[in-house]
Amino acid sequence: MRIQSFDKNFVNPVGKSVPRIDGKGLVTGQTKFTQDVNLPGMLVGKMIRSPHPHARIINIDTSKAENLPGVKAVITAKDTGEIKFGSNEFFFPHLVDQMPLESQKVRYIGDEIGAIAAVDEETAEQALKLIEVQYEILPGVFDALEAMKPGAPQIHENVRNNINVILPVNIGNPERMFKEADYVRDDVFYCPSAAHTCMETHTCIGQYETFSNKITLWISHQAPFKVREAIAKCFKMDLNDIRVVKLATGGGFGGKLEMLPMDFAACVLSKKAGGLPVKIMYTREEEFTCSRRKHNMIYKLKSGVKKDGTLLCMTGEVIADGGAYCSYGPTLLASTIMRIFMTYQIKHLKITGYRVYTNTPISGAIRGFGGVQSGFAVESHMDLLAKGIGMDPVEFRLKNITTPNMVAANKMKISSNGLKECIESAALAADWKNKRGKQSHIRRGIGMGIAGDVMGSKMYKSHESSGGIVKVEEDCSIYFFTGASDTGQGSNTALSQIVAQELGVSYSRIKCIAADTAITPFDTGSFASRVTFIAGNGALRAAHDAKEQILKIVAKDTQIDINDLDIKAEEVIQLSTKKNIMSFENAIKLCYSFNYGDQIIGRGSYNPPTTPVDFRTGEGHVSASYSFEAQIAEVEVNIKSGTINILKLWDAHDVGKAINPSSVESQIEGSLAMGLGYVFNENLKFENGRCVNANFDGYRIPRSVDIPPIKTILIETIDPQGPFGAKGMGEAALLPTAAAIANAIEDAVGIRLKELPFTPDKVLKALKEKERGEANL
Amino acid sequence: MQITFTLNKKSHTLQLHGHETLLEVIRNIIGSTGTKEACGEGECGACTVFIDGKTILSCLTLACDCADCNITTIEGLSEGDNLHPIQEAFLEQGAVQCGFCMSGMILAAKNILDKNLSPDIDEIKKGLDGNLCRCAGYPKIFEAVKAAGINLKNKKQ
Repeated sequence: MRIQSFDKNFVNPVGKSVPRIDGKGLVTGQTKFTQDVNLPGMLVGKMIRSPHPHARIINIDTSKAENLPGVKAVITAKDTGEIKFGSNEFFFPHLVDQMPLESQKVRYIGDEIGAIAAVDEETAEQALKLIEVQYEILPGVFDALEAMKPGAPQIHENVRNNINVILPVNIGNPERMFKEADYVRDDVFYCPSAAHTCMETHTCIGQYETFSNKITLWISHQAPFKVREAIAKCFKMDLNDIRVVKLATGGGFGGKLEMLPMDFAACVLSKKAGGLPVKIMYTREEEFTCSRRKHNMIYKLKSGVKKDGTLLCMTGEVIADGGAYCSYGPTLLASTIMRIFMTYQIKHLKITGYRVYTNTPISGAIRGFGGVQSGFAVESHMDLLAKGIGMDPVEFRLKNITTPNMVAANKMKISSNGLKECIESAALAADWKNKRGKQSHIRRGIGMGIAGDVMGSKMYKSHESSGGIVKVEEDCSIYFFTGASDTGQGSNTALSQIVAQELGVSYSRIKCIAADTAITPFDTGSFASRVTFIAGNGALRAAHDAKEQILKIVAKDTQIDINDLDIKAEEVIQLSTKKNIMSFENAIKLCYSFNYGDQIIGRGSYNPPTTPVDFRTGEGHVSASYSFEAQIAEVEVNIKSGTINILKLWDAHDVGKAINPSSVESQIEGSLAMGLGYVFNENLKFENGRCVNANFDGYRIPRSVDIPPIKTILIETIDPQGPFGAKGMGEAALLPTAAAIANAIEDAVGIRLKELPFTPDKVLKALKEKERGEANL
Repeated sequence: MQITFTLNKKSHTLQLHGHETLLEVIRNIIGSTGTKEACGEGECGACTVFIDGKTILSCLTLACDCADCNITTIEGLSEGDNLHPIQEAFLEQGAVQCGFCMSGMILAAKNILDKNLSPDIDEIKKGLDGNLCRCAGYPKIFEAVKAAGINLKNKKQ
């Protein structure tokens, strides 16, 4: 048998910027995204959506559409059933509130009441126009504060004042501590809604083999196993009746984390059309208005500090506009409030979060999971506290930050922690000491923000495990199967590097098969910056198991104790003598020889030792480890035009260990770009429930010309539990960006912006107020 | 109506209604799916292709206006099994994340380098202004364009 050749450059791949495992397909256009797949007989599916923000459904007449030649299936709630699904179902079964297709009421413009499958796009569009729906229009409510008022239109039955979730985080006794404070201040911050804008819109292809009762769903998604579970539950099928295959996915950012009505619809349409596959592909407008969006939030904070800078206590209130349905409401509220315990040693805190229903599109998970809003509020507020006691903001943070090996007041067990190093190295790189407070004569300023992030959390299940399988073939080529979903962040690459490193082989030997529920082990999905850490540990264990199987045979054959053997850089070595015993290739030849003939199939699974959040107090060790960062922005303010020019951004990030430094930098740069978008432009706007900027013209995301120079600094703290010391790091970098910039603007021109985005008109208004002495600082 | 054009050095004669966009024809009729649709409204650059040496947005271009034109998509860039130096540079510089914008981005990069093999950062930024990327935040893409220019220059010499 021909033995696979390997690339020597990719031996010991951990810590090297090896090219992406799927890179050649992506740069040549050969990789197939769901959008690119055309199956024989495939139909085009379209969702039937409500044109009203709030209405009762009286009658749906689909007969005209059904009689249109070329229409193969029309479905409504009669076909999908009176069932409900939701994302926080495990912990909050009573909050499950969305139906695959609504039968009684619609609650936002775009709410799904049916779906159509036709032979082509035009016929499907034509059929949509023939659907006749009688609605009784109800008064709508579009603002969270209005929705909470007594007498506001009630969006869901039995939900008083439209309050979907009340989440109290309640630790210590802040009211008592305020009495000991030397300085107390309160601030209110406003965060708008925003969109994920994945470059690939939501797309799925459903095929229902009616006789064998088997569903296959090809999908652009972050959590295919979750989709499988939702379909199984709603259609009362077995998990192995349903195959969900994630194809190459054009971005996720939290927007492709949940089951959407389109996913149910593609399957049920296919069933009704006799098993023909049905593809549903969102238009860009649907992507903006009918997927998920960022919770717009009002963040009220009040804190007390001592003269020496000790942060004593904090109270506050968060009001989050949840839109029409629950989505990840409770966990998102917990996440936005609890984050502060990762970064600050605060022992007394009481912040209550309210998630409120409105007749607007559904708010859900989006990169940062509430942390972008809290990052803006908390990190702006910290600078104002430091200013109040006349302390440098860097000194103030260093005085109050968390340390390695500590337990936070809410029971988060922090092990490795490079926050201090992040702050110090960012400050040094940016020349903080010589710049802070010294450049206002040229209207330049410098500001800092810090953040912490989790790597996983038990958001929707009793466990959050991830499994891997490593199969070594006779020719030394290796298959690695993982449940983890690469949505573009590069997890297939990083996980394959981990497998190659642990198995002691070149990365070039690995082929990665990922996120196919019929073939790969389970994984909860790509969210909460969990994949490198959790799926990485699953991969590590699988590779270790495969290695043990190989070494067992080598040990038997050479009569060397197995504990004295290892595989490193394509060689089986004896640890005591440091001698090479045989090549990896010869070891595999031995495994598959006449004498042994054992297949090498390593398996591994990892479930982090975490506890779910106590939703009554906000306590919980939600992540096995935590990652940290400090960010500095240097800005220049044009006081005539009100525009802000970012001169440079510095981001020092505790990543544990950079498995692939180039990928890690790219995650940080991408996060920063997203952060900048939210600071200056991104604001998903609604008028009476209708989105008024659902395109890239009205909703500007960062373009090449908007990107300032960025300096990333990787801090490697080698986490004791991380695979090769690695931590998750996909989200943290956009959390403090808005505050770092707001803090820099104040340093430059003495104005304090508390409402995002920082548009020129807001800057000019604040400058005028400052001139008139009305500034609210 | 019947039209003929050349796509990636291969001639295609097609019977069209007239309202089909070039993007639809390339993807759905010819079945060449490297060119992507991300907005369908000419705002994101994912569907960028070359027509007679100039980049255009194929989602805003009627296929029937492309009669007798010479069209190049991402699939027409590599020669045989060898990646084009720009594709190589994008891989080496780690400029690719999800890859959905890549076909358009790489062709936009080619458009920059066709005019100048040593573009400065402002020229690169300006040249990529019409191509949106949501994952990578652009810095590694800028580096890739620069590196590709150097590789192409070395190849020429």
